[in-house]
Amino acid sequence: MGLTVVLIIAVALAFDFFNGFHDAANSIATVVSTRVLSPRQAVVWAAFFNFAAFLIFGTAVAATIAKDVVDPAIFDNQVIFAGLIGAIAWDVITWYAGLPTSSSHALVGGMAGAAVAKAGWGSLIVTGLQKIIVFIVLSPLIGLLLGFTIMVSVYWMFHRNQRVDRLNRGFRHMQLVSAAAFSLGHGANDAQKTMGIILALLIANKQVPVDSGVPLWVVLSAHTAIGLGTLFGGWRIVHTMGSKITKLTPASGMSAELAAAATLFFTAHAGIPVSTTHTITGAIVGAGTTQRLSAVRWGVAGRVVWAWVLTIPGAFIVSYFAFLPFKGLG
Amino acid sequence: MRISRRALFFLGVALVFVLMIAPTPAEFRWLNLVMAGLALFWATLLGIEDLSNRRRDIDLPKGDDPD
Repeated sequence: MGLTVVLIIAVALAFDFFNGFHDAANSIATVVSTRVLSPRQAVVWAAFFNFAAFLIFGTAVAATIAKDVVDPAIFDNQVIFAGLIGAIAWDVITWYAGLPTSSSHALVGGMAGAAVAKAGWGSLIVTGLQKIIVFIVLSPLIGLLLGFTIMVSVYWMFHRNQRVDRLNRGFRHMQLVSAAAFSLGHGANDAQKTMGIILALLIANKQVPVDSGVPLWVVLSAHTAIGLGTLFGGWRIVHTMGSKITKLTPASGMSAELAAAATLFFTAHAGIPVSTTHTITGAIVGAGTTQRLSAVRWGVAGRVVWAWVLTIPGAFIVSYFAFLPFKGLG
Repeated sequence: MRISRRALFFLGVALVFVLMIAPTPAEFRWLNLVMAGLALFWATLLGIEDLSNRRRDIDLPKGDDPD
């Protein structure tokens, strides 16, 4: 394995670390804002389950990233490097602005931008991109509906219970389970995107055959990187997700996390790379809607939506221009 | 007759799922249908709840506490 490949793998793992830093904070936003765990405890809790996800889920999402977004024949070291640079730059910009955007879509936009700069629009696989773009819209709405449904079910089950303190204590314990489930879903979805990039790189450099699965060392290193990123997580985004969208109680926090986890388990199983940020935001809005529509701060939710809309084009443009110097050299 | 904002909201969500059927890959279209059905279910329930609340408000004499 050449030095260039090792360096690009290091950049991919750095992206994964940033993904944990940027996105995984969502896993703990609700559990922190409802004071079930201290920020430090919550970060360790989420990091552990992000890492543990490799034991449960397959690598379908990684295969989609490696083979279904850009024609694998187009991938080379320069395209992957430029794609990663675009995605990382976009993540840093949106992190600085405190916007919970999607690292996953930044990665997809970045890879697409670099591939188009190299070989034109024909290098993109329309069906793969279509699946991802459709689920940009569907995943938060699924989270929203499930969040609302679980929250209403909880009300129905417990509305006659008079012992509110005891009930709240129960929900707080349940939130540990729901936060763990969401972290598992996050690890399964987001760590796999980095695995997909490293797999594409290994295929391009003929280190593994085209029909190869993801090597175990890639799986372990991607989960380690995202777990470590979570440990150093970004608190600006926790604050936006946990308190600015709607006020959460232990019951609504638990409902939102269970709804988001269910959505992520489905998409991880189906090999659809979705944004964990989109999904948990939708679920939080869904749980908040059980109060009344005005319980949701739509201004913040709208700002988040704008960030989503801009992510793929933004990362696409940065990567496109990041690739141009390589084209000049070629 | 005025329908509550929440019922309309879920009606809108159902509509989005229906509109997204065409671009959704065939293997996942069942999900659009299930979710549209769920959104429609909540829109209907919220609409009924709103109507029954209005009727109750009209039927009760002023100052009567329903609970």
